Amino acid sequence: MPTGFHLRLPVTGGNPMIQIRIGRLAWQIGVHRNTVGNWIRTGALAARPIAGRRYAIEKNRLIRFLASRGVDEALAAEIAENCEPLRHRKEEEQPKQPPMKTKEVSMSNKTIGSVMVVGGGIASIQASLDLADSGYYVHLVEKNAGIGGRMAQLDKTFPTNDCAM
Amino acid sequence: MARDFEPKIIGFLCNWCAYAGGDLAGVMRIQYPPGMRAIRVMCSGMVPPDLVLEALVKGADGVIVMG
Amino acid sequence: MNINLLTLSEITGVAGEAGDFTVTVRKKPRYIDMDKCIACGICAEKCPKLVSDEYNAGTARRKSAYIQYGQTVPLKYAIDPDTCIFIQKGKGKCLACEKFCPTGAINFQDKEELLEFNVGAVILSPGHKSFDPSGIDFYGYKTIPDVLTGLEYERMLSPSGPVRGHLEKPSSGKTPENIAWIQCVGSRNTNQCDNGYCSSVCCMYAMKQALVTETHIPGGGRQTIFFMDMRCHGKEFELYYNYATERGIRFIRARPHTIEPGPGGSGVAMEYFTEDGRKVREEFDLTVLSTGLEAPRDAIDLAEKTGIRLSPYRFAETGGFEPVFSSKEGIYIGGSFAGPMNIPTAVANASAAAGQAARALVSARNTLTKQKTYPPEFNLTGQKPKIGVFVCSCGVNIAATVDVNALVDYAKTLPGVAYAENNLFSCSTDAQKQLADVIRKQNLNRVVIAACSPRTHEPLFQDTLMEQGINGYLVEMANIRNHNAWVHQKNPEQATQKAKDQVRMAVAKAQTLYPLERMEVPVVGRSLVIGGGVAGMSAALGLADQGYDTVLVEHSGELGGNAKNLHTTARGEPIRPMLDKMIRDVQNHPKIDALTNARVLNATGSVGHFESDIEAGGETRRISYGAAVLATGASESVPDEYRYGTDDRVYTHLGFDRLMTETPEKAAAAGSAVFIQCVGSRDEKRPWCSRLCCTHSVKAALDLKEKNPEMDVFILYRDMRTYGLNEDLYTRARNAGVLFIRYDLENKPQVAAEGDDLIVRVFDPVSRKKIAIDTDLLILAAAVVPNNVEELVNIYRCATNQDGFLNEAHPKLRPVDMAADGLFVAGIGAYPKPIGESISQAQAAASRAGAILAQPVMHLDAIKSHVTQYCDGCAICLDACPYDAISITTHAQNGRTAKRVETDKALCKGCGICQAACPKGGILVHGFTIEQLQAQVHAALDLPQAMTAS
Repeated sequence: MPTGFHLRLPVTGGNPMIQIRIGRLAWQIGVHRNTVGNWIRTGALAARPIAGRRYAIEKNRLIRFLASRGVDEALAAEIAENCEPLRHRKEEEQPKQPPMKTKEVSMSNKTIGSVMVVGGGIASIQASLDLADSGYYVHLVEKNAGIGGRMAQLDKTFPTNDCAM
Repeated sequence: MARDFEPKIIGFLCNWCAYAGGDLAGVMRIQYPPGMRAIRVMCSGMVPPDLVLEALVKGADGVIVMG
Repeated sequence: MNINLLTLSEITGVAGEAGDFTVTVRKKPRYIDMDKCIACGICAEKCPKLVSDEYNAGTARRKSAYIQYGQTVPLKYAIDPDTCIFIQKGKGKCLACEKFCPTGAINFQDKEELLEFNVGAVILSPGHKSFDPSGIDFYGYKTIPDVLTGLEYERMLSPSGPVRGHLEKPSSGKTPENIAWIQCVGSRNTNQCDNGYCSSVCCMYAMKQALVTETHIPGGGRQTIFFMDMRCHGKEFELYYNYATERGIRFIRARPHTIEPGPGGSGVAMEYFTEDGRKVREEFDLTVLSTGLEAPRDAIDLAEKTGIRLSPYRFAETGGFEPVFSSKEGIYIGGSFAGPMNIPTAVANASAAAGQAARALVSARNTLTKQKTYPPEFNLTGQKPKIGVFVCSCGVNIAATVDVNALVDYAKTLPGVAYAENNLFSCSTDAQKQLADVIRKQNLNRVVIAACSPRTHEPLFQDTLMEQGINGYLVEMANIRNHNAWVHQKNPEQATQKAKDQVRMAVAKAQTLYPLERMEVPVVGRSLVIGGGVAGMSAALGLADQGYDTVLVEHSGELGGNAKNLHTTARGEPIRPMLDKMIRDVQNHPKIDALTNARVLNATGSVGHFESDIEAGGETRRISYGAAVLATGASESVPDEYRYGTDDRVYTHLGFDRLMTETPEKAAAAGSAVFIQCVGSRDEKRPWCSRLCCTHSVKAALDLKEKNPEMDVFILYRDMRTYGLNEDLYTRARNAGVLFIRYDLENKPQVAAEGDDLIVRVFDPVSRKKIAIDTDLLILAAAVVPNNVEELVNIYRCATNQDGFLNEAHPKLRPVDMAADGLFVAGIGAYPKPIGESISQAQAAASRAGAILAQPVMHLDAIKSHVTQYCDGCAICLDACPYDAISITTHAQNGRTAKRVETDKALCKGCGICQAACPKGGILVHGFTIEQLQAQVHAALDLPQAMTAS
């Protein structure tokens, strides 16, 4: 049965991928966290970063590595056993996403009277203004801190040499 | 003329360009002498010539119409 | 109010289908609370971290706490987490911004958010990216200091740029006098980069930069443009080219092959071959690389997230007849994401995308939008002005320079002022509430805000007043921040004096303010489209599908226009089936009334409500409408040279398209074919470029080569203007063996019939020999000439340019609006263009017109001219008015008929030129009357004020 505060997961056969945290691992084997960090950075410990400051590594590889650094094999096995398994590919590859906020209630099978405009340049601004004036709510998404895009960078425009602003 | 002469200038500034330019000068903190008193107009074309003359007659050292 | 602006955000996924998408958006932390930030800039001033400024194309540096540029929207600062010392290095570090921010807006707890939105449609208009030439070493970019990109040079020219428009050589800081531009850097090049297309804008921007440069260098300097073809295919671009030539800009048809640092590491030495084969070495102070446009960096990512298809150049794929449709229903493409294009085309495309989205979502219109309502206004008649003065400290922005307490005390002494106070931030929500309270308690009826610019903040204060039932036009602002505290920082005493003057002027004006009414015009939800060609029909369909009854007026007997004679688009899509479908759709649409053999006889009214008599098939009927689209079209000119009309082997483009449609085998049997470009275009009589002919000829040449690969096909041209993605056709044609021979206006080809043979003689600049071609087919790229619109111009009081094409309100920003509100222009009546661009422009016009028709009433600004009792009908103002808003009327006065003028409030823009022109105060502009301006002048000069009450 589980000991301590870790939940022991059923042992699956083979060699699953597990998640480790630098701080916890350092504490468990009694070394400084920078030591573990350096192992990972130099590639000695073949773990790769995943979301939430965790690292993914094959379970057996972790046990072998810890043993090679003088950690008692049984302790190494227990540490590995207590690590959370890597749940699915998506989490493995993408940074953990912050909690979802739903701003609008979805109405399925209906036509929604709003439009998403992607980009904040002169074209997007024009499209947004036209739509808002025509009776549609607009969400304008711009990746920079302000809208204006390329045209805002121009000094003057031909043929009238008007100021681009 | 004394060196420290600070002329009093009446400025008529077009809302769409010169006045906007004045705003931008502020954003960019471009320093200039404080002698001008700006009057915002919708177009530099709306400034009656009589008013320009009147300002000069009544004591303005200069009038600038910008637009 | 109905636009939710999400900055620092990116979409992460699109699910669902047209009409009901769920879009997820990742909103990055700004670390500055937008509600608290007052854009004072102290965070940026105190921030110790300097980083390269993207806005200035890397030519300047900004702080880690920054605004993108001076006029950015929203005008709120942000902290760049990639460079911020605190965010990068953690606790105990820096925090200068937090320490100095006067409003406590800095929030390092700000977190990334993932938002979800339910929307009916998505418009992708992420723009483009400027080509980075550092990968092509021979240009010397980044290795030779005096080699810049077009965008960097643009920033250098700009008064808001790193050198404030004072040009300097990066190598030495000296003013450059001899500047060269190299065209097609990152465009029309499949050798060093994979951008085979033409970027479409660089020729014009190089020319513009050269001309602007002239004004930045004492004495003008010397400008040289190295080009392959000058592509001036837009409205009045050719005139601009001619003007540049006249101004002495040197145009050299060559590509420099060697670019080296100049003597002593300063300047640039370049080698090139002239057209007649001489090698030249020349030194320049500065070289500008006219870098082209590329698909945005995240194009592939965006395509994956949204499920749209990209073209091989990673621009969004769109249809030839559906220029803003992506490959996925419900997702539309706006702007230069569809391919390299200039500003007006991008703006029109974006409007078209909006129009198509509006068309698709018509059943849900007005379901999510809000409209603001206000309480009824108090009647202030007879009340004496009771003025409240609110002096804003703007944190320390104003207070650090101007003595705000002294200012408040001073304000209290001014005539008519009943109350004065100081606020830390007058624009903050708290201060607005306080303002409302004070107005109620003190019974104020005029308000003076001494703060920042009325251009940005007057609407806010007007709104607060209106919420209190006070007319919004009873507020006056004194700009003591932008026009004072910020620009006289070293001079607090004089700044305070100036602020007092400013407040005195504002109070003087406030005394003369009177309530103004925004006029309301009920909008007739019907539209009129003039012209039944592809543009007219597209506009009509766009409007009708948005739910507006549309009357389509075509002067000829049938719909279709020029497209009836066209064979295929540049991409090879057959035109006839599309056209037939479009005609059927128009004829069967329940909301379209298509009238043939019809014309508009007259028009009265203005935006929101026009009325016209329309004659159709011998009957006249009167219709009212809220907006009109003029798609009057153009025609192919009839050439008077090259044996056209006397030899049946000589065709124009339209004639040749008919041949290809009706008897393609006859065309295929020819042993040789010659195309001559610019027949009747770009000459003295018709100085414009007809835009579509180069692409059309190249496409036709390819068609001939396809039907008969043995055929000898020649294209005689002046500049090949296969702009944008059409450049691929030009490349394909050269690969297919089509021969291109350039000729000059001074050395035009000659065509003669010798016996049975048709001989074309032309000087070949490559072999430097005159050659003779015995041809079976001669196709002339005849100029496109606008249809005669004189009658309509008189009816609508609109204008054409000197070439007879209808004018738009602004050549860049309002490409489909006409100067008079409520009128729109589309198609080749505005300027020659291929069918896809005509459709997009027409859809844009439909979108813009739809935005008017969607309003129940038009609210017109109250700053308008009005006629006073002093008007004696002398009519001087009639000619002065640039908007034709003034007319003369007669009325009965003391038993006699007297004349006076009348202004059309809908046409008047409030410019007040009439007011300045009128010798007797007979016409004035509300809010800026002579009396009001005079009050300010007197106050500025500190003359005694007459107490005036309205």
